[in-house]
Amino acid sequence: MANSPTEDAIVIQDVVKNFRKRTIRGEYTTFKSELVRWLRGNRTSNQQGRFIESLRGVNLRIPKGQTVAILGRNGSGKSTLLKLITGIYTPTSGSITVNGRISALLDLGAGFHPDFSGRENILINGIILGMSRTEVRAKMDAIIAFSELGEFIDEPVRTYSSGMYMRLAFSVATHVDPDILIIDEILAVGDEHFSKKSMAKMTEFKRLGKTIVLVTHDMSTVERWCDQAAWLDGGRIRRMGTPAEIAADYRQAVSLAEARSTVFTPPALTAGGGALPGLPEGPVVTDAPKPAPQVAVTRVWLTGPRGEELGTIAPETRAEVCIDYVAREAMADVEFVLTLASADGPVLYATSTRTDRVPLPTPLPPQGRLRFVLPRVGLLGGAYVLSVELKTGNNANPEAGREARCSFSVSTEHDDRGVFRPEHAWVVEEAPAAPVQAVSVPKHAAAS
Amino acid sequence: MIRNFRELYSYRGLLLSLVQRELKARYRGSVLGFFWTFLNPTLHMLVYTLLFSVFMKNQIPNYAYFLFVGLLPWTWFSTSVSAGASSISDRRDLMTKVRFPAQVLPATVVATNFCNFIFSLPLMVVLGLFFGVKPSWHIVAFPVVVLVQMCFTFAVVYAVSAFNVTFRDLQHIVMNLMMLWFFLTPVLYRLSTVPEAYRRVLQVINPMSILITSYQALFYEHRLPDVVPLMSLLGVSVCLLWGATQIFESRREEFAESI
Repeated sequence: MANSPTEDAIVIQDVVKNFRKRTIRGEYTTFKSELVRWLRGNRTSNQQGRFIESLRGVNLRIPKGQTVAILGRNGSGKSTLLKLITGIYTPTSGSITVNGRISALLDLGAGFHPDFSGRENILINGIILGMSRTEVRAKMDAIIAFSELGEFIDEPVRTYSSGMYMRLAFSVATHVDPDILIIDEILAVGDEHFSKKSMAKMTEFKRLGKTIVLVTHDMSTVERWCDQAAWLDGGRIRRMGTPAEIAADYRQAVSLAEARSTVFTPPALTAGGGALPGLPEGPVVTDAPKPAPQVAVTRVWLTGPRGEELGTIAPETRAEVCIDYVAREAMADVEFVLTLASADGPVLYATSTRTDRVPLPTPLPPQGRLRFVLPRVGLLGGAYVLSVELKTGNNANPEAGREARCSFSVSTEHDDRGVFRPEHAWVVEEAPAAPVQAVSVPKHAAAS
Repeated sequence: MIRNFRELYSYRGLLLSLVQRELKARYRGSVLGFFWTFLNPTLHMLVYTLLFSVFMKNQIPNYAYFLFVGLLPWTWFSTSVSAGASSISDRRDLMTKVRFPAQVLPATVVATNFCNFIFSLPLMVVLGLFFGVKPSWHIVAFPVVVLVQMCFTFAVVYAVSAFNVTFRDLQHIVMNLMMLWFFLTPVLYRLSTVPEAYRRVLQVINPMSILITSYQALFYEHRLPDVVPLMSLLGVSVCLLWGATQIFESRREEFAESI
């Protein structure tokens, strides 16, 4: 194992995983059932359709030190994939290479015995998770301190509240010190205080350069935390990219499926793997309908302070939205409508050239660009979608393709909440002073 | 087989902790605590002694002690097999959530019952002294007999636990079979009382009869056990163990999925 930093932590190649149907249905073979079948002369077990394809050829490389989220609808094979990586399942075909010690938080509290004290369970659970006895003993105090159970640590686990139980289990799991951490939907443990602590622990893992593979349905976690996201759909990796892109695509596909009233059947039991409907290709919708539109916004994108195209931006920087359009026929009474929405739907701001009384040349030149200048982004961390539509006065039948959109994300280390981030500064004064004179508000410099 | 046991050895910390926990769990919360180890075989012994020594008047001297010598190793074997059958299929929480060498689970059962067996030996010695039977130098061969039984028990438990994952009713069948097996094993009676014609057959088809008579030879008859049957059983047990680990290894990939 070379210690080159470019080495991949996990390499998954063409992994296929089939399950027997009876396994999924939870039917067990017993001597009795076999005997009954045999007596009925039903010896030919129906060979066809006995298997369920859960994964149909997954290719995935997870680079060292990255946090990668795996998204997908329920039953798309995310957990199966994690179990394959962990080695609980073996792939039907294909190969999985793992470089480094792996620890899986698939379930908290594996092997906990209710009659034993927290301390005794830490020992067993720690060993089950792959630590040695001496290692667990050495970390015992740290684990107990992290769990904040205090004197309860010597009480039997059955007397614990479910929150205490989870806290204890989580504490053990995070002290395993793996190279690769596999997490299945268990980040939100305990009350707000403890979940903050677990988040901090995760951040520490990231800082230490551990590889993290995460399955979650919480898009904000994905966007805040992960370096990359992979979208598992229909038993294959549908797309891999930045969390914001993938999350936006995923949401769009789900809403598209809902709009088409697709029946959400268990994916593995559905022909074609139950993939969600395909999206128009690419993050920027540019493909024109068959008759090229005479008047349309062709492309929208975001640029940063130095004019470079950006997908992720900081809240305190300058940004510009560039809007390319074509107007092949002379149009009067033209209006560009710009809408900013958060990726999960709600519109945050909408304005138009008419509202802002922007003098547009009449007639519009056949091709051109508008720039929407934001001196300061002023948004909270998260994923957003910008869309620009071109409206004309004779807008009797709005054609498709007049609108273009782009998604971007705002990344920040601030913990602020709400809808937007106003320009602000705090002023601390010793005593209630005389009426505040006009304080010259310094430019908020935290993010620059 | 070698790989299987090497893996088991590398997880000895886990095995040790699990055995410790099983032992503690068994006696936790009971007033008599550890003395339950003694209570269980003692009660068995009393019942059988009443039945065979008082009601049926058999001619074996120191019957209670004789019974005890055979009963303890038999209990080790039978509880290992009946508890081992469901050792994997009952631990869904471990098998499907953690990477875990499956053979640790049946091994834990065998080891736990072995500990119980060892812990109840002093009681047997005390009972012998009560009847005026002093242990002789022949007990040096005791570890050899234990080793043979260990191999044999492991082989049976591995195979049974692996099959029970796919055939869930095996564990119930095993319970009944163990009862039958018990009466086919010379624990309650002496092998010499079995008619000559059947004795040979019993020894060949029932490895436990060789083991139990070996224990009786050591502790009751004060002689060394017959070498030929014991050593051939050792050979057979190693072969069985090899076969059982093959079965175990070939099915092990399915464990997590079928449970």
